[in-house]
Amino acid sequence: MRRAPAVLAALLACAGASRAAAQDSVFGIRGLGLLDRGVSGKSAALGGGFVVFDPSAAVNPASLAGWHTTAGWAVGAGSFRSFDYGTGTSSLSATRFPVVGFAGGIGEKVVVAITASDYLDRNWSVQQTDTVSPRGTPVVASDNTQSAGGVTDLRLAMAYRLPNITVGFGAHVLTGSTNTSVSRQFPDDSAFVSYTQAQTTNYTGFGFSAGALVSPLPGLVTGASVRVNGRLRATTTDTAADVPMPVEVNAGFYDQPLPGLAVAGTVGWASWSRAAGALAAAGQARSRDVWSVGLGVEVGVLRLGRRPLPLRFGYRWRQLPFPIGGDATTPGPALSEHAVTTGLGFDTAGGRATVDLGLDIGSRAAGTLSESFTTLYVGLTIRP
Amino acid sequence: MSAWRSAVFVTGLAAAAAMGCQEKVTTPSRCPALCPASKVELADTLLALADTADTSVRGFVLIREATYLLASTLDSLQAVTLIRFSAHDTMWTVSGTNLDSLYVGTQDSLVLTLSLAQRDTTVKNLRMVIWRLPAQFDTGATYQSVQPFLADSTLIDTVAIADTAIAGSHTFNIADSLHIPPGDSGVVSLAIGIVAPSKTALTFGSGNLSTAPLLTTYVHARAPFDTATSLFSVSPSVALFVLNPAPVQPPPGILAVGGIPTARTLMRLSLPKLVVDSASVVRATLLLNTVGAVGGFAGDSFYVVAEPVVRDYGVKSVLWPDSATSGIVLVHQGQSGQIQLDMAPILRFWGTAQGDSTPRLIMLRGYPEGSILGAVNFASHTAGALGPQLEVTYVKPYSFGVP
Repeated sequence: MRRAPAVLAALLACAGASRAAAQDSVFGIRGLGLLDRGVSGKSAALGGGFVVFDPSAAVNPASLAGWHTTAGWAVGAGSFRSFDYGTGTSSLSATRFPVVGFAGGIGEKVVVAITASDYLDRNWSVQQTDTVSPRGTPVVASDNTQSAGGVTDLRLAMAYRLPNITVGFGAHVLTGSTNTSVSRQFPDDSAFVSYTQAQTTNYTGFGFSAGALVSPLPGLVTGASVRVNGRLRATTTDTAADVPMPVEVNAGFYDQPLPGLAVAGTVGWASWSRAAGALAAAGQARSRDVWSVGLGVEVGVLRLGRRPLPLRFGYRWRQLPFPIGGDATTPGPALSEHAVTTGLGFDTAGGRATVDLGLDIGSRAAGTLSESFTTLYVGLTIRP
Repeated sequence: MSAWRSAVFVTGLAAAAAMGCQEKVTTPSRCPALCPASKVELADTLLALADTADTSVRGFVLIREATYLLASTLDSLQAVTLIRFSAHDTMWTVSGTNLDSLYVGTQDSLVLTLSLAQRDTTVKNLRMVIWRLPAQFDTGATYQSVQPFLADSTLIDTVAIADTAIAGSHTFNIADSLHIPPGDSGVVSLAIGIVAPSKTALTFGSGNLSTAPLLTTYVHARAPFDTATSLFSVSPSVALFVLNPAPVQPPPGILAVGGIPTARTLMRLSLPKLVVDSASVVRATLLLNTVGAVGGFAGDSFYVVAEPVVRDYGVKSVLWPDSATSGIVLVHQGQSGQIQLDMAPILRFWGTAQGDSTPRLIMLRGYPEGSILGAVNFASHTAGALGPQLEVTYVKPYSFGVP
């Protein structure tokens, strides 16, 4: 009972020690950043195939019906990446906190929850060294452009259990900011002094989501959700821009064909091309609609004491909405990401706490640029 | 099994702590695919400060405030030092005796102690010439007005300065005795010049932030205790020097810096808003063309400093006290041509919230001011192409873009 809060405290301590979110991909420099995955440790281990049914994830509000008691949860994700830029590699690492939430029941049929999850990750830092010739004299200049921050999805949602269907509704607020800066350093022995310029951009937006879970056959659950987002308003001290956010649709199944065996799959689609016009107007390349697929298997053959120790495996594939290349008139070719996943989960503290671990190993590639990553998700759920 | 679970928890805790708290996000750029849309771009501009309101004024540090005293035979600058020493005591007490006091009887010798500051070591056989001046000489005296007193009749002594003498304290026995008329109340005034096989100059401490000259008188007591001896050292009540040519205000068209009394130059700059307000100046250089060569001791150097003015009261303007916002350049005696003075700290200061409301006004002065003989004259804005120019290298406003 005392250890579970200790793990949660460790996660929160890490959250305080590092930035709220960190770069999860070098490709996050494009467009609005990297599309985040606000998933739990369990969904991560199942390749995202479970995400439509995952009460910890902020995807389908109907999945909140999975909470049968008051619960709080938090997920931390440490990521190690290797970026291959053709002539060399660079090792990177970062920390994210994909989702935290709290849920409680109202009577037997209603579950209400508040979640905060990563939506867009705009953490990146790029170093560039070049020789410039101000006043006709060559001098080495080192430029660093970096962005810290992103957009967080705050959701207030509820699920309602009906006899043959569970429905859910959610209201979303997109909020956050990025601090972007550029600096140029000259060698100490040069006559030039360093230069730094910074800008803070604040984001606000709204959205609504609805979802349902239906069990057409014993052991089989199907689910779907749709999320309609408004415009994301980006403001600085002297300018502003509105970017239409996508409509997001997810559908999936969860089946238990055999005792101790569960299979889950989810297909998602998001109309990120809605943002293309605003991005083009800002001089950026157009975005495109994206698909995602996740499939996972959970095997419950092991036990930890008297409690089950489910092992999870999965595979996922998704497209990123801000591809490499392209211009203001034509989006670049789709940039895909795929990963194999595994993990496990176990209860502790007399069943009042659950730890879910998920390992996500995958890669992204665009031409000669590729990035491989390994992310460890550590999720803790407490049911006091 | 409890230990099993504990191990799992500890592992989880360690994994969370080890993997959670680390950041390494900087990547090498691969443009244009993985570069920001905007680039850092430098631009150069050369501003002819034709509409600059510049002026020079002499008199910031007066001769009597200088840290040095000067004796010179240079063609360009002749100088004689004038010193008035206060009266020394007329009696002294002897401890361990039953005598209350002993009164000064006869002088035994007079020793002048000077702290040499600068000399031209290539000039050998340098001698110091010491004349007696009227005790209450005119402190407003000029080089010309003291000439009648620099005669053989008033000559006290000429003393050699060793060719090996370097900066520091040196003593010179200038006389066995010096008659002091009762009307002078014990006050002794001296004039100090130099002679040498070639034209040269010599400076020594004045007492202003430097070691003052000392006149030490060795005495015997009055009879019947005339075997008792003592000494008295007194420092100057007045110490200055007179110059030929006499210092004058810089003429129009000349921007003067340094010398003594020290000169400063005020320059009111009219700069484009982009240069000042963008806070992106990476290099700014004030180009100044000398009129004549830099003056001063042979082989000597000093700094020309540009400082921003925070309150414009003309020649009495208040300067920004932070030396980090000043521009500085080292100049050398005999140097001529273009001198480049770094102005980037000042332009960047003007781009800050603190400096934004301050006038675009700088003051040029020598450093260390009042401690150097060096002086330099620059062509003012009236000299056309030879007038001051400002070369600025800056970063064009960077477009971060929204969103």
